[in-house]
Amino acid sequence: MATVARDQTSGVSVRSGIVDCDVHPAPVNVDEIRSYLPMPWRDRYSGGGRGFFGNPVHGARLDSTPPGGGPTGSDPDFLRTQLIDEFGTAYAILLPRAFCNLHPDPDFGTAIAAAFNDWLADTWLSRYNPDGVFKGSITVNIQDPAAAAREIERWAGHPHFVQVMTDSGARAPLGQRQYYPIYEACERHGLRFAVHPGTDGMGINVQPSPGYPTHYIEWHTCLSLAFQAHLVSILTEGVFERFPGLGITLTEGGVSWLPALMWRLDAEWKALRSEVPWLTKAPSAYLRDHVRLSSQPLEDPDNAKHLLQVFEMMDAEHILMFASDYPHWDFDSPTHAFPKLPEQLHRRIFSETAREWYGLPTAE
Amino acid sequence: MGKHIVGRVSSVPPGGRAVVEAEGRSIGIFNVDGAFYALRNSCPHQAAPLCLGSIKGMTMPSKPGEYIWAREGEILRCPWHGWEFDIMTGRSIFNPHRTRVKAYDVTIEEHVDGAAVPDDEDESVETFHVSVEDGWIVLHV
Repeated sequence: MATVARDQTSGVSVRSGIVDCDVHPAPVNVDEIRSYLPMPWRDRYSGGGRGFFGNPVHGARLDSTPPGGGPTGSDPDFLRTQLIDEFGTAYAILLPRAFCNLHPDPDFGTAIAAAFNDWLADTWLSRYNPDGVFKGSITVNIQDPAAAAREIERWAGHPHFVQVMTDSGARAPLGQRQYYPIYEACERHGLRFAVHPGTDGMGINVQPSPGYPTHYIEWHTCLSLAFQAHLVSILTEGVFERFPGLGITLTEGGVSWLPALMWRLDAEWKALRSEVPWLTKAPSAYLRDHVRLSSQPLEDPDNAKHLLQVFEMMDAEHILMFASDYPHWDFDSPTHAFPKLPEQLHRRIFSETAREWYGLPTAE
Repeated sequence: MGKHIVGRVSSVPPGGRAVVEAEGRSIGIFNVDGAFYALRNSCPHQAAPLCLGSIKGMTMPSKPGEYIWAREGEILRCPWHGWEFDIMTGRSIFNPHRTRVKAYDVTIEEHVDGAAVPDDEDESVETFHVSVEDGWIVLHV
């Protein structure tokens, strides 16, 4: 169980325990979201996710269906029992799945994003949140960056929204200038910008592989391709020079590819620096100040030492944050997904780094 | 080592299962076409409650592009990550030699001397005649 103490000097309550950086709450049904949509969108919205590349086995933990019925992740009491209380979670970062940026009509996508934000704020961030364990992500439709920036403004200052989020599915790499109104708003309000897999190759978005793979296993393995492309774009376009206060959370995009990609990018930069002269240091040198990765789905090599070596190569102590992805099928257990870690590294990954990143109270 | 009565044969029909506690362990009992099997209710991967998973068949080894569905009702899939296990042996499908869950013996007995009888059964029951068809499912841990 997470315990709560009150900081003697600041009066801010401090929850001890781990921080879980990827938890998925769900509305009880489509009508719950509809109730937050104005006309004409209320009539048009019928829910729905990505439409294909469904998991052929099951998409969510079979034991995560609430005993009283409803979708997985829709019952706050059951989620607390199965996740928060079970693992002593101090804070859970919530990322709802609106799939709003696959629509050709940007106004429709923006309306869906706003409805999810209103819903999350009314329920999981207030009614269900008397102890403040839940921290939210502001869903934005990146296909209309100006509207996305206005949506961020609408929620700025909310005590429980700690970041802005988008699916990785996009029409262009995320370092490009059309997205800058979003980053400017994030920087202005001290909100992190999170990228989470979803809608790649769906609707109006491009697929980050050569065409469409045949199987879910291919598509799901290659989710990290979009993250790699987005990260290289963000670093080389100089997004962090332009927005020095911006931080990007790469959620559920994979972990172990990072050191190899950074070696490759840094090597390219030595030769091609003149193409991107605004970079003031090697691309990888921006990571510690500006980028964090969440851990799930953590790679699981046969030899656990290899994973610990990757952690050292990638500066995991400073940039890796635990995530479970509850209630999805590839849930990583806080007690079983990782090899045994040195105590200090465990504390960083499971608590400290995320508390610093999201400005959560830190126990002394 | 002990014998534990799970219940009457009729309480776990073919295709069904029961999850019981025995000697501090959670164990799933499965009836596959009238034969009973028992597996530890903890996945060797991340300790998920394995025995709550779905009971299915499986795609058998085949040529590329060919699908052979067989062994219906004999395969248990972990409720979290979907790893497949052979209910009869506890061995995983992807690596039967190295990845397996503990399997226990199950017998069907008419008399249950020396076994712990469930609280809701009359303890004098072993003095009655019991037919094999509705005998006791006995788990050996």
